[in-house]
Amino acid sequence: MTAFDRRDFLVRTAGSAAAFGFAPDLMAVPFGRGRAPLRLAVVGLGRQGRAILGELAKFEQVEIAAICDVDERRLAAGGRRARGAAAFADVGALLAGADGLQAVVIATPTHLHREPAEAALRAGLHVYCEVPLASTTEDARALALAARGSDRVFAVGLTARTNPVYKLARSFVVSGALERTAALEAAWNRKLPWGEAGRGDGGPGDHGWRLNPAVSLGLAGEIGGLQCDVFEWFLRISPAAVRGHGAVRYHDDGRRMADVVQCQFEYEDGLRMSYQASLCSSIGGQYELFRGSNATVKMADTFGWMFKEADAPVQGWEVYASRERFHNDEGITLIADATKLAAQGKLKEGIGLPFPPLYYALEAFLKSALEGAKAHADAAVGLQAAVVGIAAARAVATGERVAIDPADYELD
Amino acid sequence: MPLRRALHAMGTRFELLLDDAPGARAAAEEALACIEDEDLRLSAFRRDSLVAHLNAHAGAACRVDDDFLALLALCLTVWEESDGAFDPALGGAMTALGFREAAPAGPGGGRHAPATAAAPPLTLDPAAGTATVSAGRALDLGAVGKGWALDRAAAALRAAGVERALLHGGTSSVLAIGAPPGAEAWTIAIRRPPAAPGPALEVELADAALGVSGGHGRVHTRYGETLTHVLDPATGAPARRAALAAVVAESAALADAWSTALLVRGGPCPRAPLTWAAVLPADASAGTAGAENPLS
Repeated sequence: MTAFDRRDFLVRTAGSAAAFGFAPDLMAVPFGRGRAPLRLAVVGLGRQGRAILGELAKFEQVEIAAICDVDERRLAAGGRRARGAAAFADVGALLAGADGLQAVVIATPTHLHREPAEAALRAGLHVYCEVPLASTTEDARALALAARGSDRVFAVGLTARTNPVYKLARSFVVSGALERTAALEAAWNRKLPWGEAGRGDGGPGDHGWRLNPAVSLGLAGEIGGLQCDVFEWFLRISPAAVRGHGAVRYHDDGRRMADVVQCQFEYEDGLRMSYQASLCSSIGGQYELFRGSNATVKMADTFGWMFKEADAPVQGWEVYASRERFHNDEGITLIADATKLAAQGKLKEGIGLPFPPLYYALEAFLKSALEGAKAHADAAVGLQAAVVGIAAARAVATGERVAIDPADYELD
Repeated sequence: MPLRRALHAMGTRFELLLDDAPGARAAAEEALACIEDEDLRLSAFRRDSLVAHLNAHAGAACRVDDDFLALLALCLTVWEESDGAFDPALGGAMTALGFREAAPAGPGGGRHAPATAAAPPLTLDPAAGTATVSAGRALDLGAVGKGWALDRAAAALRAAGVERALLHGGTSSVLAIGAPPGAEAWTIAIRRPPAAPGPALEVELADAALGVSGGHGRVHTRYGETLTHVLDPATGAPARRAALAAVVAESAALADAWSTALLVRGGPCPRAPLTWAAVLPADASAGTAGAENPLS
């Protein structure tokens, strides 16, 4: 084998290894061919609802038949992203008035998920529900049971589970690349107020609901619980308890909801996940990190890296992989469509994804609704993430260790 | 105390200045979210942006929402009225010259990028809600994106009841809502580039927007040559006729697009819907060809 051949071989092998357990086409994959477009409604047109409309517009297999929000301005903004959609101010009117509706996306505030989602299920519609599933265990369980009792698709917006970069990283973790998982870590940092304290009652149309302790799970619950789901999905583990701390350290607007939180999630055999979230600083951004004895994997939205220990087994393909320097460490960039790109000599062009994570979550939902496949993240998964988030929120609010009954994770 | 909020987006710093009245903090957050959302949609640097999506399907019609269609329609109008001096599809040349993340072409590469003024950079079908980037072209909305994002942010502020604010993106795109207390307008000073020295230009802005384009802002050295980031669509090379163009228009997107067009043209354009414009010559001794041209 010549030097050129060997290099070519190794690059191709890199692609094969990187695609282990996962070989999707990252560009739009045709589905639902020969079928009429799915007639769908989006309920809740805040920032997430508008982002959903923007992604849905990329699918030929969707007709956005209706949109719904109590806020007229948001309804108008949504209308500019959903041409021809009928506009409704409440879900009851939407379900009664929108013709031929087949599916609904629920993007209302967390504590307002249950009512419209259950109504949609009762109306025989497929449902994609944003996460957390609910802000109380009672609501989350009731909604999960309603979903299980329906023959419709019920998917939750845990986008990591359909994110191609996370799927690739998971394949490495599942195949033992970390060896022993020593510790877990996650963070979410943004410098923003999250609304304005003391304005609104938590009801429909209250844009400041995230700062209202009566209805919001705060940083630990609204965000942290979802990041915990990444560890649950990769490692099949759920926390048994969580300790929390929160404080208002920056936003001097009279708020009671902590703008910085730290939690420690306790798993079996001494494994812990350290969590930190802040509305005071954006440095560090959002990530989930798996620290193993052979390798550490860090995930950050559409990016992922593997840091290998010096004494970890060498598989060959690492030599030609795309790398990034982080102070003293060098990370191998995880590239989801590495097989194809390596074959074309375009590995670096594959860093990141051609669509936002939300696109892949919606694509999976649409495939399930049109073709009857099981949802990638179903109501049971949504219940688990909600239970973790609710416990974390309570730990932060009380400063006490909150144990999670394993039965809480179960639907039965 | 005024409320000051900032955000890094589109490769620069956006800043909002408004009265710290009840509701202002939430309004500012909503406005910054609009800018961040437009960054995600319009970015030439992200693989997952809407622009990247259209570029990946160049030559084919893509469904787009009415917001994006409106931006593309504005781009096409300015392209037509400026006789191609503003071109929203110079992505290939920008990449070839190293202004985008992908590796630049070798010496001389990109200099002759085919960006002809005769061929439309894109076609729109408003009835079908689709946009088609012309085959072989690549959208790059860097010359209009900041202004468009400021317009969206201003709309969010106005909808929240804000009657007085100043917004800017990288200081080259400025949008004024109302006027400061006791004044009829915000006074904005425009620093002259080194190639056209002299006292700063001053512009009065009230419910209007200012766009400034110049070769002295973002530059990039390549093979010993300093390249400026505003390209002449006719050549695919950096525009050299003027050192700076500043315009005032009713929207920040229009101001951004027209300041680029006038910089490329090196002088005014009779069809431009502007309330004020100034173009400074690339060479201070160049005489009247590129002199300041207030339009009103």
